[in-house]
Amino acid sequence: MPNKIVSVHNIHKFYESGHVKVHALKGVSFDLHEGDFLIIKGRNGSGKSTLLRQLGLLDKPDSGTIHLLDEEVIQMKEKLRAKMRLTKIGYIFQEYALLSELTALENVMLPAMLLNKKIECEKRAHRLLSKVGMERRIKSLPNQLSGGEKQKVAIARALINDPKVIFADEPTANLDTQAANSVMKILKELNKHDNHTIVMVTHEPEEEVFANRIIHLADGKII
Amino acid sequence: MKQEFKIPFFLLWCHLKRGNKWTLSLIIFLMSIAFINLIFVNSLFAGVISNTNKQVVNTFTGNIMMLPPDGEDFFKETSQIKTDLESIDKIEAVSPQIIVPASMKYKNVKGNWTILAVDPELEKGVTNIYDNMTEGEYLSPDDTDQIIIGRQIAGGEEVEMNAFSFQDAKVGDKVTLSFDSQSKEFTIKGIFYTKFLETDKRAFITNKAFNEMFPGSENTATSFIMKISKTGEEAKVIEEIKAKNIKGKFYGWEEAAGIMKAITKSFVSINVIMSIVGILIAAVTIFIVIYIDVTSKRQQVGILRAIGVRPYLINATYILQTVVYSLSGIAIGTAIFFGLIVTYFKAYPFSLPIGDVTLVLEYADYIMRLEIFVWVSMLAGIIPSLLVTRVKILDAIWGNK
Repeated sequence: MPNKIVSVHNIHKFYESGHVKVHALKGVSFDLHEGDFLIIKGRNGSGKSTLLRQLGLLDKPDSGTIHLLDEEVIQMKEKLRAKMRLTKIGYIFQEYALLSELTALENVMLPAMLLNKKIECEKRAHRLLSKVGMERRIKSLPNQLSGGEKQKVAIARALINDPKVIFADEPTANLDTQAANSVMKILKELNKHDNHTIVMVTHEPEEEVFANRIIHLADGKII
Repeated sequence: MKQEFKIPFFLLWCHLKRGNKWTLSLIIFLMSIAFINLIFVNSLFAGVISNTNKQVVNTFTGNIMMLPPDGEDFFKETSQIKTDLESIDKIEAVSPQIIVPASMKYKNVKGNWTILAVDPELEKGVTNIYDNMTEGEYLSPDDTDQIIIGRQIAGGEEVEMNAFSFQDAKVGDKVTLSFDSQSKEFTIKGIFYTKFLETDKRAFITNKAFNEMFPGSENTATSFIMKISKTGEEAKVIEEIKAKNIKGKFYGWEEAAGIMKAITKSFVSINVIMSIVGILIAAVTIFIVIYIDVTSKRQQVGILRAIGVRPYLINATYILQTVVYSLSGIAIGTAIFFGLIVTYFKAYPFSLPIGDVTLVLEYADYIMRLEIFVWVSMLAGIIPSLLVTRVKILDAIWGNK
């Protein structure tokens, strides 16, 4: 049995939308093992992105527990959560979230620079950008890249510190078909050949073929 | 060095290299204006104070003024006292003076101005009135019926106190000095204009002329004024004079100038207040500049935190950025200040009743303001950064709140 990477138990999340209190996650529980490619699917507002943000340590649920690599992360100090985001997690945003004043290469190497010497980071970032087919655009700034290219840079950045698990929040939502296929192919390769555990939120049915597990969320619950 | 400490430098370098150049230029320009504001007011007041001090020393009292001891109206044995004073190393020149107890009349205008009898050659050693003759000539030791008067006595349309003057007396005109029941006519030999109002309300005749008017007054004086080698050492020199057992009452120029001391003190107080206001203006300007800069980058801050960069490194980035902004502002502000503003005011000084005032910025004052500016910048820069890094990561990325 592969190692357990993520263990989610009975998490609830509330947030306020205007004056309305929304119960976004209603007792979600599941486990995730090393090498899994999990797709979380559901309609808009079903809570899938909210769930991913709790797993990616960008937000905290109001109750329940999340264990990431055997460590309980909800009660964890922010300093340690930041370290976990840096070293154990790769997060790919739907909107790419690249730093506008940094080139593709610099965006990718930045998280590694917190831990390693610049020269090593640069070599690794080069390698990762080549891996996602961006070796010719390393000096480009985000505003000089297409959506698909930005997402590839974001994937390379997510991989720079060799994380145990990658969370991807609708990584193909803003891409055309060709770019989306290219991104999905990269993610699949990362999962299949490099044994990266991937959790991806999507509502594209054709992307389900890449996953070995699928969770359906509806109204904040797994169905 | 921990690797993460390099992150603020790296992010700052990328920002300076690739950030919007117009915005960067505008920020640095604003910083330079804020810095100029901080040093300009100070240098103006310092200029006024410095000029007042110089004028008092050079045209009015010298560095030290000595008056007769209590109970006596004048010094006797002036020559001996002068010789004793001159024997002190730090005293460069001594000029005995006698206040002439006379009123002065020109045509139908009569008034009481301070008239001093001096040895013109000795007076030249202490004051620079001889160098400020605008009309005619300075006194010669043998002049017995000639007088020099200040511009405020001579008067004229452009003169500040024309209403209380002779209203356009000229060189060669006659004035009458009256004392007791006698009077004597003098010819105006020269008119001086030191631009120091108190001095320009004075008139001078020679000791020789005075002795003719008051026989038996030879070798007397009502005061001595002295020039010393280093302004600021008045107290030390006074101690040396006292040690020589020279009897008299001694006053440094600050005390001797009386009202000028109060004015100078007021300027110092105003300068302090204006400096605090300047610092507040600089702080608010920097705060606004950095606040706008940081809040426009909330999303970037959120992204940095999302990838694991800790808030203190983000804050350090903004502190560094503020330091670079403020140092650049200081460099450009200093160049503008000394290159343009000081040069301009040297060519076209402020004309005040105490003289022509230029900008004076002491090195220590400049360094102090520079340090204050950098610290205030850092403080004003860290606050907006702290505000943004305390926002939830997702709110920062999405620009909520």
